[in-house]
Amino acid sequence: MTAPGLVEHFFRHEYGKLVATLSRRVGVRNIEAIEDAVQSALMAALESWKVTGLPDNAPAWLFRVAHNNLMGDLRKRSGRRRILEQNEEADMEPPYNDPEVFLAGEVRDDLLRMLFVCCDEAIPVESQLVLALKTLCGFSVREIAHRLFTSEANVYKRLARARGRLRKLSPRLGELSGEQYASRLPAVHKILYLLFTEGYLSSHAETAIRRELCNEAIWLGTILAEHPAGQVPETFALLALMHLHAARLTARQDGSGGLLLLEEQNRDLWDYQEIRVGLEWLARSAEGDVFSRFHAEAGIAAEHCLAPTFAETRWDKVVENYALLEQVAPSALHMLNRAVAVAELQCPDAGLAVLEGFEPPTWLASSYLWAAVLADLHQRCGNTETAEGYRDVAIKSAPTTAVKELLQRRLRSTD
Amino acid sequence: MPNYLCMQRSLPIEDAEKPSPTQMQEMYAKFSAWQEKFKDNIVDMGGKLGAGKLVTPESASDGPFVEVKELVGGYMIVSAKNLDEATTVARELPGLVGPGSGVEVIEIHTP
Repeated sequence: MTAPGLVEHFFRHEYGKLVATLSRRVGVRNIEAIEDAVQSALMAALESWKVTGLPDNAPAWLFRVAHNNLMGDLRKRSGRRRILEQNEEADMEPPYNDPEVFLAGEVRDDLLRMLFVCCDEAIPVESQLVLALKTLCGFSVREIAHRLFTSEANVYKRLARARGRLRKLSPRLGELSGEQYASRLPAVHKILYLLFTEGYLSSHAETAIRRELCNEAIWLGTILAEHPAGQVPETFALLALMHLHAARLTARQDGSGGLLLLEEQNRDLWDYQEIRVGLEWLARSAEGDVFSRFHAEAGIAAEHCLAPTFAETRWDKVVENYALLEQVAPSALHMLNRAVAVAELQCPDAGLAVLEGFEPPTWLASSYLWAAVLADLHQRCGNTETAEGYRDVAIKSAPTTAVKELLQRRLRSTD
Repeated sequence: MPNYLCMQRSLPIEDAEKPSPTQMQEMYAKFSAWQEKFKDNIVDMGGKLGAGKLVTPESASDGPFVEVKELVGGYMIVSAKNLDEATTVARELPGLVGPGSGVEVIEIHTP
């Protein structure tokens, strides 16, 4: 259901913007007071707008109320005078004392700044992710737990670590230097990538829920790409790969929520507008001489998007990109993917040859992916017995029913 | 059509979880849909009730209001053919009638 006069996710995104803006103004170490003030402002809006209807400038209305809440709270907590001393600069500037002045342009900078604040190297990555989802995307603890397939207690724990770190930041340290922006950029890329893959690879039954995380990553990535601190080829390649994957998100499931293999997907369901945007970012990412893992992954995604049919995929390009990916980001998983692509390009035997003599690390050996690929390749080579063994392991270790069904179909139907 | 005073009465719930921004947007959307559906019935959207005093010949005191304040969350005025219709309007108001809260619907007699 949509609310008249409000864009989708208005409350959630205003939450993020207000937290970001107020964090800059009073210091991110007050994050808890800031989040409380914003939450109360949204509640007040809900009560008030019911009666009066939407105000002309809803974001400014929210800002004024949240700002007043926060000032009242901080004054109560530690005395107005001390706050003023600590934040002399930010607090005394005229715009600050006039909450009417609320510039939309500033807000994007504030959001970006908050994203870099979340990516503090002193905060563990999983806490960074939860912090970003909470403060920037405006998800509640319960919603985050639901999206990340974890418990609320775990989300609270991760948040507490992150907030504990933020609380320790002195007022001066709260401001990020140019060097910090530069040094945290890889961490920011990582968080956006993680946010996207949490949505894209999630085995969540609801497409809408998964799509939401992907869209949040694209939203933040776009803000990053528009800011001088983030305008590097890696950012553009990351956006390219997100758009190119998002284009195929809907087609990955059949009508009843079951997963579909790439070759089973109806390519008419792919979102060609998304593909177009993805290819534009890919073109922009080609500047400079940097070749990141995002470039390789976007390149692979682009090959799949551009192939008119599964059979017509340019497997040579896919293999090439996987080989490059292995160089810039060595991982057994990438090698496994290359083996699959080689099997398509040449023959299943060649695919197996890629993995010949390779001892998979424990995390991969015990995952369904490894067993499923080996089962498939052996089956296609005619090594029925070996294939059977891997097949059983794969199906037994399938993380969800949807994956299990996919494996049963795939590993049975090929001769 | 007679008017009806609708008073929200809530029973304190312990540890009621705060709604998330997403839930707030849903609540706003549902509320707007309700307003649209019953726009002909809504006379006064009313509002929340705050602090008050009881004025008697002897004094003005917080007296009984303290108790009432906890119970009455807000009020509004709707017009309806009869009590049944007024009840329907109130019942469909999202979030108003639920665990721990209800609405008292009272006809306002005008001479």
